[in-house]
Amino acid sequence: MTAIRLACALAAAIGLPAAAYAQTRAKADVTCRPSGTTLQYDCSIMLTNARTSEPLGGVTLTVGADMPSMPMMHNVRPVAATPGAQAGTYQARLTLEMHGDWALQLNLSGPLRDRVVTTLRFDPDKVAPAAKAPPRHKH
Amino acid sequence: MVDFVQNTLDGVMTGSSYGLLALGFTLIFGVMRRLNLSYGPSIMIGAYLGTLVYVQLSAGPLVVIAVTLLGAVLAGLYVERLCFAPMAAGAGVASMVSSFAIWMQLEQAAVLALPRHTYPFPPLATGAPLNLGPFLLRVDHLIMLTGALALSACVHLLIYRSHFGLGLRAIINNPVAAHLVGINVRAAIVRAFALASAVGGVAGYLVLAVDQQVTPMFGMWATIKGLIAMMIGGLGSIPGAILGGLLLGVIEAHSQWYFGPHIRDLFAYLALFACLALRPGGLLGEALHEPFERGA
Amino acid sequence: MDDYLVGVLSNIGVISFIALSAYLLLLIGAISFGQQAFFAIGAYAAGIATALWGWPLWLALGWGAAMGGVAAVLVGLPTLRLHGLYFAIATLAFAEMVRLLFEQFRYQVTIDGEPVGPNGTDGFRGIRYIFENDVGPLQFLALIYGLLAVVLAGLMLLERSRLGAAFRMIGEDPTLAALNGIAVARAQLLAAALAGALAGLGGGLYAHLTTYLEPRIFDVMLGVHGLAYGLIGGLGTALGPLIGVLIDIGMLESIRVFAGYRMIIFGGLVAVLLIVRPRGLLDERLVHRIGRACSGLFGRPRPDKNGAERKPA
Repeated sequence: MTAIRLACALAAAIGLPAAAYAQTRAKADVTCRPSGTTLQYDCSIMLTNARTSEPLGGVTLTVGADMPSMPMMHNVRPVAATPGAQAGTYQARLTLEMHGDWALQLNLSGPLRDRVVTTLRFDPDKVAPAAKAPPRHKH
Repeated sequence: MVDFVQNTLDGVMTGSSYGLLALGFTLIFGVMRRLNLSYGPSIMIGAYLGTLVYVQLSAGPLVVIAVTLLGAVLAGLYVERLCFAPMAAGAGVASMVSSFAIWMQLEQAAVLALPRHTYPFPPLATGAPLNLGPFLLRVDHLIMLTGALALSACVHLLIYRSHFGLGLRAIINNPVAAHLVGINVRAAIVRAFALASAVGGVAGYLVLAVDQQVTPMFGMWATIKGLIAMMIGGLGSIPGAILGGLLLGVIEAHSQWYFGPHIRDLFAYLALFACLALRPGGLLGEALHEPFERGA
Repeated sequence: MDDYLVGVLSNIGVISFIALSAYLLLLIGAISFGQQAFFAIGAYAAGIATALWGWPLWLALGWGAAMGGVAAVLVGLPTLRLHGLYFAIATLAFAEMVRLLFEQFRYQVTIDGEPVGPNGTDGFRGIRYIFENDVGPLQFLALIYGLLAVVLAGLMLLERSRLGAAFRMIGEDPTLAALNGIAVARAQLLAAALAGALAGLGGGLYAHLTTYLEPRIFDVMLGVHGLAYGLIGGLGTALGPLIGVLIDIGMLESIRVFAGYRMIIFGGLVAVLLIVRPRGLLDERLVHRIGRACSGLFGRPRPDKNGAERKPA
């Protein structure tokens, strides 16, 4: 870590309150399918501008994943997503470590920086939106 | 009024299974003065074996219960060998933390073996609920209640009327004196562990048969419920375990009725916290006074 | 440095805060399964501060740490006097209550026409400070490790101070410590407050690192891992918990063949270590021996044959 980087980090930490709320925010629709190999899933992602609903094309997108129930303990290597045929669509092949609920982190770099998090449940045979709370035993 | 009684009845029936879980916990605690936090997961291993024979071999309920029992006992003995036997006398906290670590191990082993989120369990009874005046009683709940009461009675007889039980009570009272009198403390502890796991296995079977499914969350759930019930009723006290279980069941039934399932769990933990803060010994137990020696 | 490595290192840094928090309580002899509650409180507090109230990061992190410390004192008051076993269960109960309360917690503010804020089980999205203020991953990593270094320095100073000695004495035997004139209850509360603040600070960093919080993140697993890191790495020094974190995330993570069996290996490791080295790898005896060997190396007086140490003038 050079001294300059450290100074920048400290400056950012001490810096002025964020006034720039009017930044482009992204919204994402993610669908995933098991790819045939265990714990590997093919995901298609549709990125749109959260306010104007225009598709966001030409963005560098990497997809990471973390398990909400075991935070920071799985370090899945982020994969770069390839742009699809339609503007704003991307594909990525994810390799996970376990079945269960995963929070997919869609990291946008490139023209704009943002991160969208979507939680999905990955089962051996299907992928579904995650349940709101862990199922409880009901009597 | 009808609602109140109905809720209380429901609470008593679910509480009976909590009482069984607490019973297993308290047996281990009474005899070893240590808390086994892998209790729920070891029952879950048994349950997973049970569901395996149910799904793969279409076994009947009796076979499933036998396999569940056996699995729970084997898992319990594994925990005993790894977390409790090798620890020096008095390293109670180290064994507790060790059992927590083995919990993680057992849970991952179960999820690796059976990765789906839920597996079916044979039901206790199908059919319409009974009507007793204005109250509704589910048949499977009734079977769970009678099963729990029967098992508690058996355990009570075992502890208070048998030779083995006499030895256990001697160890609970004073392990050193029991050893001096010639009781094989090691062997008795292993048998107590097996007994506790077997009781847990039955309790687990009853609960899962009512739910008709088993999920990986069951391990933690069973441990927490058993722990809360045991703490409320009193550590190391067998009647306390049953009482604590019934009380917990009733508290939960009422809170769920008025506030919903999330708040119900909140109340369960609140009951535990309040019990610890105000009366650590629980209702029928004695508070621990001697310093809990660390594993140094 | 590629993004993956930066990510892993950032995670190691943030988890170290929980590990150190649990370690501090282990010093006074209190086993806590509940430090994740203060981590959660710090995370939500800091996240709300930057995302909803527009505070600068340093203030938000301080606020998160302060909230963690206050909560720890409030919990410590009724529970620290309890026997070790009861205290452990009480912390477990408290942490689960906090998690369940966060599942009910809704506090949203409309910013730019969109609701932002914690929304119960849906979680708290959009803690976008690092995007809005153009803080890169490397810069945030520097922040994490800068703060970690300060904390470590503080803990090392604590070891050498009277307060640190008092903590360890309470950990060994509270009655004896009280007989030696230490205000046991006050010291325990102080340790709890510091531990809570540490966890709260870590939580604030976590919130800004991942930009997304939900109650499920802060369950028992997190707390137990934090505790286990200290027990694995060693309770003799503040570096011990960090070694534990490195063993788990660093080693077990990077060896891909372990991928699906992480918990099995980690759980087994903890169990075995608790049998053979109950105070961890770098336990007090080893640290003491290393200290003595080092002072010998640097020419300071060594104990003579009878074991008496001659101090420098």
